[in-house]
Amino acid sequence: MTALLRRHPALLPGLLFSAVLLLAPTFAERGTQNDLWNMAFFVVLAAAWNLLGGFAGQVSLGYSAFVGIGAYTTVLLAQAGWSPWLTLPVGAALAAAFSVVVGLPTFRLRGPYFTIATIGVGEAVRVIASGLEFTGGSSGLRMPAGTFDFTANYYAMVGLALATLALVAWLQQNAFGLALEAIRQDIDGAEALGVNSTWVKLEAHAISSALVAVAGGLFATNFQYISPGSVFDFRLSLTIVLMPIVGGMGTLAGPVVGAMLFSYLQIKLLASPTLRDSYLFIYGGLLIVVMLFEPRGIMGLWERLWSRLPRRRTPTIAEARGAG
Amino acid sequence: MVRLTWCGALAVVLLGLPARAQDEIRIGAVLPVTGKESKIGGAYKQATELAVKEANDAGGIQVGAKKMKVNLSLLDDTSDAAKSAQLVEQLITQNKSHAIIGGYGSHLVQAQSVVPDRYGVPYLSGGAGATAIFGRSKWVFGTLSPVEHLAETQMKFLDDLVKQGKLKTPLTIALVTENTEHGNDYAKGVNDFIKTHPGYKVAVQEKFELNTTDYRPLLQRVAEAKTDLFLADSHLEDFIAMHRTYTQMGLHHLMVTHGARGSDTAARKALGPATDYIFASGWWSDLLPYPQVKDFNARYKKETGADPQWYHAMAYETARALLTAISKAGSLEPEKIRAALAGLKLEKSIVPGQVLSFTKTGQADVPFVVTQNKPGAKVDLVWPKEDATGPAVAPIPTK
Amino acid sequence: MQKLAIVALNSLLAAGLYATMSYGLAVIYGVMRIINLAHAGLMMLAAYATWALNDRFGLDPFLSMVIVAPAFFLLGMALYATLIRWLPRSSAGPSMQSLLLLFGVWLVLQNLAYAIWGGDTQSILTPYTMESVQIFGGRFGIPQILVFVVSILSLVGLNLVLRRTFLGKAIRAVTQNRDAAMLSGVNAGQIAAVAFGIGTAFAAMAGSMLSTLYAFTPDFGRSFLLKAFCIIVLGGMESFTGVAVGALVLAFIENFASAYTSIPVSYQDAISFTLLVVVLVAAPGGLPGLWRLLDRRVVAR
Repeated sequence: MTALLRRHPALLPGLLFSAVLLLAPTFAERGTQNDLWNMAFFVVLAAAWNLLGGFAGQVSLGYSAFVGIGAYTTVLLAQAGWSPWLTLPVGAALAAAFSVVVGLPTFRLRGPYFTIATIGVGEAVRVIASGLEFTGGSSGLRMPAGTFDFTANYYAMVGLALATLALVAWLQQNAFGLALEAIRQDIDGAEALGVNSTWVKLEAHAISSALVAVAGGLFATNFQYISPGSVFDFRLSLTIVLMPIVGGMGTLAGPVVGAMLFSYLQIKLLASPTLRDSYLFIYGGLLIVVMLFEPRGIMGLWERLWSRLPRRRTPTIAEARGAG
Repeated sequence: MVRLTWCGALAVVLLGLPARAQDEIRIGAVLPVTGKESKIGGAYKQATELAVKEANDAGGIQVGAKKMKVNLSLLDDTSDAAKSAQLVEQLITQNKSHAIIGGYGSHLVQAQSVVPDRYGVPYLSGGAGATAIFGRSKWVFGTLSPVEHLAETQMKFLDDLVKQGKLKTPLTIALVTENTEHGNDYAKGVNDFIKTHPGYKVAVQEKFELNTTDYRPLLQRVAEAKTDLFLADSHLEDFIAMHRTYTQMGLHHLMVTHGARGSDTAARKALGPATDYIFASGWWSDLLPYPQVKDFNARYKKETGADPQWYHAMAYETARALLTAISKAGSLEPEKIRAALAGLKLEKSIVPGQVLSFTKTGQADVPFVVTQNKPGAKVDLVWPKEDATGPAVAPIPTK
Repeated sequence: MQKLAIVALNSLLAAGLYATMSYGLAVIYGVMRIINLAHAGLMMLAAYATWALNDRFGLDPFLSMVIVAPAFFLLGMALYATLIRWLPRSSAGPSMQSLLLLFGVWLVLQNLAYAIWGGDTQSILTPYTMESVQIFGGRFGIPQILVFVVSILSLVGLNLVLRRTFLGKAIRAVTQNRDAAMLSGVNAGQIAAVAFGIGTAFAAMAGSMLSTLYAFTPDFGRSFLLKAFCIIVLGGMESFTGVAVGALVLAFIENFASAYTSIPVSYQDAISFTLLVVVLVAAPGGLPGLWRLLDRRVVAR
């Protein structure tokens, strides 16, 4: 047990924090619980996106499509009589399927070309959802009565966030994670070493889109009303990308830090009128500063500061041989 | 990472509520003061605060034996639906509001309207006319009449012109609506009217996205259909862009409307004489010849320096209706306030028809006004006929 | 037959507008491989500047371009010197960092506009805004025709500069191979600054002209930006003639789809976005790439 803790020093405070989150409904006010729910929601979106965007280096600006697929699947099936919980895996499966459909042609593209293509896909999905009749068109859809249970939803969302982080941590460790990293650094080199980059990218895309869709389904159950404007919005796609970038792409803690910062900013901004009018300044300025000075985000900054501190360094071979 | 998790844990633990004053009426309101709907959201804030100020300046509201002041907590949802709902919840659970004034914008109000039922708190919105919002919860009320009735009023107005002999049936219609709930409701209202009134036919029906970049393809289809009437429902920017294209293309119809748009000052500035004879329908007009409206116009101008538009008036009257209901209830108990709202008949109201009351679904059903632009930047109220300030001109004269 | 002529002319005029919106993006992309998301914000800012000039001094929007374009040229160079210059350049291709940095700039510009002018809808009305001429039995607005003329002049002007002047040759050299250009004595940094300035100036011209056609708020520009993406992708992202052709193709598809099919007009945007994805995937070099491919096949025969 102590060995495990020593290897992962962040585990203890992480567990404590999770315990606090899970116990929150018993002592925190509803307003705080709402804020925590929001934070957990953003953590899921940011961490899931990071799988493809940070680890594999494929930046997609079309993730709101998956939030929407999850949300709409839940509402439509719930209206047909399904239990909201059972709709979640269906939404996840549909999102994963859609991600493959989108990924197959677009993963041939590199870098920003892929990004632009994802913008196109996200917007096309929104326009179509606004136009179709059975998705309620632009008027949106409501969950049937009696499907609302905040506490259950809260636990589900926090649970989802913790599960997502655990999944990402595990994937980061094993061969899949190595493959993602290899693709991000040098896709041709990875291919030369036998990594089927398209297959790996598709898998990452599918897993992350499924997670995002489940979050979307929980969103629909929590707010009871969705419309193309609320779930298929381009600005949501941008927010999803902003969080891991500011927090630090390609790290486990980065998306969490980004999500927390973002949630905190949202709460703070609402409280003060002058800040409210300048929220665009703040987000824009943050982006500019991060891109100019520390593209690896807050975690990158942290790394840089950490490595400056004097520490016990591992002994060289000669020193070790001399000592032993 | 370690430091951050401790900070996070700290952030979770919030301290208790401040002490609550007992002898005040706590009203919560969530409006889009910033963001996409900020223009009208800000206006709603201004008008709501004015109504509360007038009540407090008069010593407060008589509730039972006591006169109580009104404590208004107004929050900004930045035009975000999810935030809007959460803020309403916050106002109910933490602020312990006795009643909530709803926001502006169908999608925001939709999101908010699921919350009052959970806690049994009366909710009155002055900012959404979409029918789908009402009838689901006994706690949700709205002062804006359904958008379908806006369309229906316009059709009745046109039908009256036929009766007067100014227009002749059969009349074909080009129906062009924005792809939003408002637009969908408008189209439904027109189509429902036609079902019971042969003599009108929709020859072409199209939807367009907000902020369309090029209206020519759409208007080309309209031109080819060669209809008698042009009925559209659009936001201000789209009205301007579309009508400019309409005028450049040399289109002409016997009557033209853009739903609630037409007499806006910004539109007249952007379009000039091309807006002449467009008729528009809305929830209120400052041209209504009632004494209470003249009085309201003067008071509003004095307090804020600007002439009131329909959104100022409706926001003001919404707040006034809620405070009156609380007074009639004689108590701050939610069920009593709700019952008072349900049975409210606000007399000498500034709304068309002078009486504000709610139907069984909780939505008001107040007549709409129709205004028509006249040359020289003038506007006439042409419907309801008994309140008209000028004659309706039909068909639109060709140059 | 008359309908065909009218639809064709409509497409031509729309293409003129689309092309003007896209030149700015194309210049910056071509020289620096940077995708300028702030383009929308710059167009919006220029629209407001034009409106302010019109409101205060009664200056005609098209004439005010004489002031607005150079002012924004300087603004563009300033943006480059303070922000873009510090971005690490990856020789491999366009970078995410520049994309996101410029997106941040866009947000800041929006807030600036809200702070200065508020969220009210503004528009410019000139004596000729509502006028039109009759061609082939259809009526076409004067502002659209003027925009089209400016677009053609810009295309010709750009091509002249690129082919006949030293600056133009330097820009082309840097576009093709930055290191080789530097070896030949071209100051790549300076050229990049100038190119960014030119791109910003074009964005400003587009904004000025758009202000004559549309009403605008600080949110203005997003739908145009996305369309402009489609166009430069179609056009191959590297040549201005390509941009013009891309604009033509998009405009024609939109107008013909609306005139001859019964696809609802509200799906118009979906068409352009789908086209964007299809072209990116099937023909990454855009139409010129397709042309080259066909050309090679023919030559190989």
